[in-house]
Amino acid sequence: MAARDVAENGDAELIRTIFSGFDSLSDGVAIWRPDATLLFANRAFRRSFDFDLPADTPYADFVERVVASHEWRLPGSPEGWAAAKIDRFGEVCDETYATADGRVVRSVMAPTDDGGASLTLSDVTAGERREAELRAARDKAEATDEAKSRFLRAANHDLRQPLAALKIMLFNCRAETDAETRDELLHGMDVTTSVMEDLLGALLQIGQLDAGRIKPRVSTFQLSHLFERMDIQLRHQAKEKGLRFRIVGTRATITSDRLLLERILNNLVANAIRYTDLGGVVIGCRRRGDMLRIDVVDTGRGVAPDDQARIFDEFYRAADDRRLEKSGLGLGLSIVSRLASLLHHRVELSSKPKVGSRFSVYVPLGNVWHSQVVETEVNEAVAGEFVGAPILFVEDDDVLRSSMGQLLDRWGVDQRSAASADEAMRFLEAGFRPRLILADYSIRTTTGIDVIESVRRVIGAEIPACIITADAEPKVLERVRSAGVPLLVKPVSPPRLRVMMHHLLFEQSRG
Amino acid sequence: MMSSPIPIGSMIPLTGPSAADGAEFRKGVILASEEINANGGLLGRPIKPFFADTGRQSAEEVVAAARLLIERRDVHAIVNGYNIGPQNSEYEPIADAGILYIHANTLLQHHDTVMSDPERYFGCFMTDPADYWYGPGFLKFISWLRDSGQWKPPSNRIAIVSGSNPYSIVIAQAMASSAASFGWKVCFGPEIVQTPTTEWRAALEAVRASEPAVIANTHFYSGDLASFQIQFMEQPTNSLVYLQYGAMHQSFSDIAQRKGVGVLVSTVIGLLRDEIGRSFASRYIARFGEGSTPQIGCQSYTALHHYALAASYAGGSAGPGGFEQNRRVAKALKTVIYRGVSGTIRFDETWQAATPYPVVTQDPSLGLPHLFFQIRPDLKQLALIAPEPFNTDRFVLPPWMTPV
Repeated sequence: MAARDVAENGDAELIRTIFSGFDSLSDGVAIWRPDATLLFANRAFRRSFDFDLPADTPYADFVERVVASHEWRLPGSPEGWAAAKIDRFGEVCDETYATADGRVVRSVMAPTDDGGASLTLSDVTAGERREAELRAARDKAEATDEAKSRFLRAANHDLRQPLAALKIMLFNCRAETDAETRDELLHGMDVTTSVMEDLLGALLQIGQLDAGRIKPRVSTFQLSHLFERMDIQLRHQAKEKGLRFRIVGTRATITSDRLLLERILNNLVANAIRYTDLGGVVIGCRRRGDMLRIDVVDTGRGVAPDDQARIFDEFYRAADDRRLEKSGLGLGLSIVSRLASLLHHRVELSSKPKVGSRFSVYVPLGNVWHSQVVETEVNEAVAGEFVGAPILFVEDDDVLRSSMGQLLDRWGVDQRSAASADEAMRFLEAGFRPRLILADYSIRTTTGIDVIESVRRVIGAEIPACIITADAEPKVLERVRSAGVPLLVKPVSPPRLRVMMHHLLFEQSRG
Repeated sequence: MMSSPIPIGSMIPLTGPSAADGAEFRKGVILASEEINANGGLLGRPIKPFFADTGRQSAEEVVAAARLLIERRDVHAIVNGYNIGPQNSEYEPIADAGILYIHANTLLQHHDTVMSDPERYFGCFMTDPADYWYGPGFLKFISWLRDSGQWKPPSNRIAIVSGSNPYSIVIAQAMASSAASFGWKVCFGPEIVQTPTTEWRAALEAVRASEPAVIANTHFYSGDLASFQIQFMEQPTNSLVYLQYGAMHQSFSDIAQRKGVGVLVSTVIGLLRDEIGRSFASRYIARFGEGSTPQIGCQSYTALHHYALAASYAGGSAGPGGFEQNRRVAKALKTVIYRGVSGTIRFDETWQAATPYPVVTQDPSLGLPHLFFQIRPDLKQLALIAPEPFNTDRFVLPPWMTPV
């Protein structure tokens, strides 16, 4: 039975039943008469607005109240929107609106047979959000796909160049009879393969970064540690090119990922060395508020203003720099940019062509109390009282010499273990100058006392010494005693040896 | 009624040059035993302490003390303050007996010995961090004074003087090797001076010539250090003066008097001035009288409480030969993190030594605080100036220095 028939039959109860059914719907439904006055609005519809909607409200009033409520974000001017809505009462219309509380509402107007209209409102927030996410994911995937294709094309191109060069050199090498030329070609092949190796390594790093496999481990540490490592790794590269290389000392405490920051700086410095032919590279830093700006400054070719935004792209090289050379791969800065964004460190470039560049990385300053002092375990080999003490140990028993050598190594001693007097002398000839001699009493054809005396004679100083013996014969003890050398009887426990060594090295002068 | 007592040994210098500290270590063990017993003992068994005198703390004396306690008293554990001379030789009879040993020797050698054979030395624990940590800890401290603007150093130069014992040498070397990382330059030393000595003038002359912003002496006898400070004050330079541990003792101030005011000193195990520390100090003084020093007694006191807690957790203790049960106690000592009157004792799994805060852990609830003090004009209570959150005072410029 159609609703109109019900109304005509005046079946009030049925009407109530139907209307209460409408009230149970989660969508809002309103029905307007042909004269554009409200016949019925269900509960969900009324709850969509914070104003009352009594029966017979004219549609034009409803539209104006929607505008006045500021509940919906309307396209264009509110007045224009209201005028259009009122004008098009009863026409099919399907739109979505964002609401002030963050939902998305779909509003559908449809004409009724009698010339009136129905208006339904549905909450499509979840669906819309999913769709927006899907759109974003698709866009990202397309962009990544495009970037990957560009990346692979470029990688392919850069990998082909050395490969082609390698083939030519290989061919020439086979036919070459002159040894010198052959060596040159082999050297060229060596350089070329290392270019390919670097390229593949860089590709792997970028791959890992893009796959999100590299997770930062942020800690607080002294920047000077990192500078020291960089100095060791990069100084010789600069020197090979005849460049000045200077790292300005720092006492700054910073908070970052130690390894990843090192990779950023190493890439920047390697780049600076690569593109500098005259002058030098300086690394230093400045405080900027609660940040530290680490600068890598070079007197190199510089970057043209047009290129500055693009040099962080993969394989990008400025127009005048497309020739193949060792390490000119154009991936370093791309890695820098990815790592810096992972660590939220800002990277800045200031450059003038033919004058030079300054690449800067901003890192947060840290609290010195939180600074990690050591990475490795602290033990006597790194920090004990005997660290670096030069000690000569003479023992002809292989097993004892090896185990004692291990003990002395564990204590950080700079030890030389000799199996004979001759071997001990060879250490001295090589420039070794012991501060202490530990010697077994009977060493093949001679005695420890003789070895000690020979060593003292060669060096020309009364170096402290100790005899270690298993031979407790009175004759032996007397000989050692008369030489004025202290004695330890085997087996020697580490604590006893330690006490003796300490005494001879540090307390001897007190007697 | 409680069942049979558990014998606990303590090797303490009751005579000789460290007898004053020894007396406090003894009191710490007594007070802890009384408190543990008042709470029902170790799983119902009271603790009975036995003391053995280590005299001048030579290897022979300390090893003899360990043997006596093991063989005559059947002790389940040996709990000490420190003995400076034995160079870990006492570990041997203890490892042979398979009992627990907790000391505060503050020696890096402990790491080496334990790591050389973890199975054998399973029961040997050091309840404070190794001497080594004084080095980087001190560097962090002066860098903090500098970076926080509390002190404006005239230069980055640091002079290091060391005594001739292993402890002082290790600290001096650790200071020297950490200096550059924090922006400091060692301008003199580490110079090893034969100790004990009261004559420092030759070393001080060389120190002054090097124009240091900081002078550190890592020797630790309070009398010797007082002489150093008095001789420094004959011609003071514009430098901070740091004196190792011994300057914390009242005997330092008794000798140096007002010439010691402004001196910096630190300890990797001290008494905190929070509610827990103050409550302990008042119990300690109530028990042993006004002249007693809870700042020293806290070391053995904390160690014994920690042991009792771990042994209870492990289901009981065992005497010599009880390897299996004592291994359980050792395991429990590593598991049970103990917040005592000096801060938190958390044994490092490998080193079996307390982890220091803030030089190793940055979490004050997981490390024993390395406390920095400054001597103040009243010469009685040292000002606890670092680290946060344990400090109760602020650094002030020493009277011999000129503000920049």
